[in-house]
Amino acid sequence: MACDRIEELLASFLEEELGPAERSFVEEHLKTCPSCSLLLAGLREVKGAFHGFPEVEVSEGLKSKLYAIPEEKKSSRFRLKLSLDFLLQPSLQPVFAAATVFMILVSFYVFNPNKKAIDRSIDRNLHLGYSQVEKLYARAGSWADRLKAYKDNFLVSIKEWNLLGGNEDQTLKEEESPWKKRAS
Amino acid sequence: MDLNEVIAECLEGKEGAWRMLVDAYSKKVFNMAYQFAGSYEEAEDLTQDIFLKLYHSLSKYDRAKNFTAWLLTLAKNHLIDAYRKTKWEKANRDEFDEHFLSEDAAESPEASLLKEASRKAVWNGLNSLSPENRMAVILRDIQGKSYEDVAEILGLPIGTVKSRINRGRLELAKILGSRKETIHGL
Repeated sequence: MACDRIEELLASFLEEELGPAERSFVEEHLKTCPSCSLLLAGLREVKGAFHGFPEVEVSEGLKSKLYAIPEEKKSSRFRLKLSLDFLLQPSLQPVFAAATVFMILVSFYVFNPNKKAIDRSIDRNLHLGYSQVEKLYARAGSWADRLKAYKDNFLVSIKEWNLLGGNEDQTLKEEESPWKKRAS
Repeated sequence: MDLNEVIAECLEGKEGAWRMLVDAYSKKVFNMAYQFAGSYEEAEDLTQDIFLKLYHSLSKYDRAKNFTAWLLTLAKNHLIDAYRKTKWEKANRDEFDEHFLSEDAAESPEASLLKEASRKAVWNGLNSLSPENRMAVILRDIQGKSYEDVAEILGLPIGTVKSRINRGRLELAKILGSRKETIHGL
């Protein structure tokens, strides 16, 4: 447990970033723990090894390729490469996944030994589906007729209701022509 | 010429400005790619890809920000993405001597040999680190950047950066330790 804590502190210990309390804690532990002392020696060795990594020079070939990037962009070959790169975009992944599933289903159908049974089943299901649609369509038609009948009834009842005084003209006309009454 | 002027001229399509940008930053990016990937040829391809990305995204660069940090962030993202796509192909690194020359001519031959051996072990051991820890160690310990700069490039808090570097160093120290045990056991 103490070794785990020391492991966390060793890098800071090496860079002299620890406070006095933590520093003495690490020093005390190192006196009694050979594995942590070895680890500290290893860290020192790693630190020393990193100092021997000089910078590598860029080759003239690479530099000329980098200089040519703006020119290359204009060429058609470059555009083709970009268009192929476009296919690798993560946003197209769902499309590719859907296409793969579709291809698997198609290959399952094409290479299945019981293809005729699948055909029959598809045919039956298509017919069932078609009849269902027809039924729905017929039902929808009857509903439309019924609605129309309701609408007509409603309009007739509103007219007969005499809410807006719709039949007043008729009564007046009837009153204004007493000769009609007589005639009748 | 001011860096922002160079960038503005690059965006206008002036070839000279682009060459200046390449001259100023290609070595930095190439070394980062080489230290990360461990292969000279691969580092060349990766550097080319990074500069291609730079060319396309130069218009998105916010000129108030640090350009070097922005470019190295772009490079870091590309390197880690490329590693994740093809990590099974990157089991081996170039031989250490192939491109790095020893600078310790003043040391005794024995000490020089020992140092060379530990450098080789550390160089090869970089491959066993996770890409995130490896990148943090490269930026801090090989390129000698400050914790603040590493945090800016990686887009992480300093505490996380320190812990990644610490984990990477410990792994490398353990690799060196196990190598010594093997040598003594023989």
